[in-house]
Amino acid sequence: MPISLEYKAKNELLQKFPKIETCLKCNTCALVCPVQYAGFSPTNTYVNNIFSSQEPEKNPNIWLCVSCHKCEEICPYEVKPLEVIEALKDEAFEKGYAPEAIREEINQVLTTGYAFPIFQSLHFINRERERRGLKPLGERKVGEIKKIAGKTGLENKMAGWKKK
Amino acid sequence: MTKKYAFFRGCFVPVRLPHIEAVAQKVFSDMGISLVNLDDFTCCPEPVGVGINDKMTWLSIAARNLAVAEENGLDIITVCNGCTYTLRHASHALNSNKQLRDKVNGIISDTGHAYKGNAKVSHFLEVLMNDIGTRKMKSAVKYPLSKLTIATHTGCHILSPKEIMEFDNPFDPTTLDELVMILGATPADYDKKTLCCGWALMTYGSREGAYALLKDKLGNMKLAQADCLTVVCPQCFYQFDMGQWIASRKDIPQYNLPALFYLQLLGLAMGYNLQEIGYDSHKVKNPEFENKIKMR
Repeated sequence: MPISLEYKAKNELLQKFPKIETCLKCNTCALVCPVQYAGFSPTNTYVNNIFSSQEPEKNPNIWLCVSCHKCEEICPYEVKPLEVIEALKDEAFEKGYAPEAIREEINQVLTTGYAFPIFQSLHFINRERERRGLKPLGERKVGEIKKIAGKTGLENKMAGWKKK
Repeated sequence: MTKKYAFFRGCFVPVRLPHIEAVAQKVFSDMGISLVNLDDFTCCPEPVGVGINDKMTWLSIAARNLAVAEENGLDIITVCNGCTYTLRHASHALNSNKQLRDKVNGIISDTGHAYKGNAKVSHFLEVLMNDIGTRKMKSAVKYPLSKLTIATHTGCHILSPKEIMEFDNPFDPTTLDELVMILGATPADYDKKTLCCGWALMTYGSREGAYALLKDKLGNMKLAQADCLTVVCPQCFYQFDMGQWIASRKDIPQYNLPALFYLQLLGLAMGYNLQEIGYDSHKVKNPEFENKIKMR
C-alpha cells in the first residue's frame, strides 16, 4: 500500500514531493539511518513514521534527523526522504514549532556570531586558549549579521516568537 | 614561497577544543603552510540547526564569510565537516545560479561585502592530500605509529551529498584510511564505519538514541582490535570523547577508546609528544594506548 493513502496532508506534500508516492517501504533507508537508534527498527522505520504522520510538520520526530544524506544516497527509488524532512522542518520553523534548542542556537548566531553561548564562560575559555599559546577570543561582527537577518526577515520572525 | 590559507576556525574548535586549533597551527606551520586568522569571520553558520530552517539567512551569512576570505586574496581551510558543508554548499549554490547570487549579494550589500566566487574551500584533509602530498607527509613521519590499529571515522557532512562535497565515496570512504597508513598505522576494518557519530541526534533530539548509537559504533571498533579512533570534525571528536565518557558512566560499557583528531596523530608521527598534541584535555584516556605511543 502506498504510504500516501495513510497520509492526510498528502495533497500538499505530494504536490511538492511526488516521489513520496514511489516509496515501496523497502526499508533500505533504515539500514543506514542513525535515527534508528532512537527507538525505530526495520519494521517501524523513521522515514515511514515521518511520511505517515497526520500533521507531519507537528511531528516532533522531524527534529531527530541529522541531515547525513545517507537515506537519499542509498534509496533505490530516489525518494529523497531528506528533502521532505528538511521541507517539513522549514515549514514547522515558520509556524513556530521548532524546539528550544534550535531557536536558541539561531538566536546565538544572530546575537553573538557563535553557534552557542560563550560569553558567560569567556574567562575560562580564554585561560585555556592562553595555556595553548592562542590569542583570546572576542566579539564577532554581529552588526553585519544583524543587517543580514534584518533583510531576510529572520530577525523579525525571532522577535515575534519571543513575544509569544 | 609559503602557501597561505585563511583559517576558518568555526565555533567549536576555538571555543571548546583550543588544543585542536593549536595542533593545526603547529602541524601546518611545520609543513610549510601558513594559517591566517581573519577577525571578520563569523559562525559559518551551522548547517543542521540554522541551514535547514532559514536557508536565505544561512546562504547570506556563508556568502559574507566567503567574501571576507576573497577580499583578503586567500582560499579557505576548515577544520570541521560542518563548516566545510555550509561553505561548499553556499559556493555551489551561488556559483551555479546567477539569480540567487544577485539576491544574496543584495542581502549582504549593507555589510560592505560582495560575493564574487573566487575563494576555494578546502577541508584540512584536502590540503594535506593536494597541497602537501603523500610523499612530503611520508618524509615528515619520523616516528611511525606502527604499533597502532586505528578506527577511522570520516563523518557525514564531508561525504554527502557527494555531488557537492566531492570528497570520497559516502558508503566506502578510504581517504582517511590511506592517511592513517601513511603514519605507519593499521586502519581497523570495522562494521558501521559510515554511521554518524550521533552528535546532532544528541543535541537536537534523543540523548538515549545517541548513546545506543555510540555503544554500537564503539563496540564494533573494539571488536576490530582498535587502539584508538580518529576523526576529522570537532563535533565527532566531542561525541567520541566527552560523549563516550558521559555514556560510559551508566549507559554503555567502558570501552576506553581514545579519540584523536587526525592532526594529533600526524603530530605524534612527526615527533610531538602527548602533551604537545593536547592529550591532557581529553576525557577518555587509555594507558595501553599511551604506552604504544611512547614506544613508537
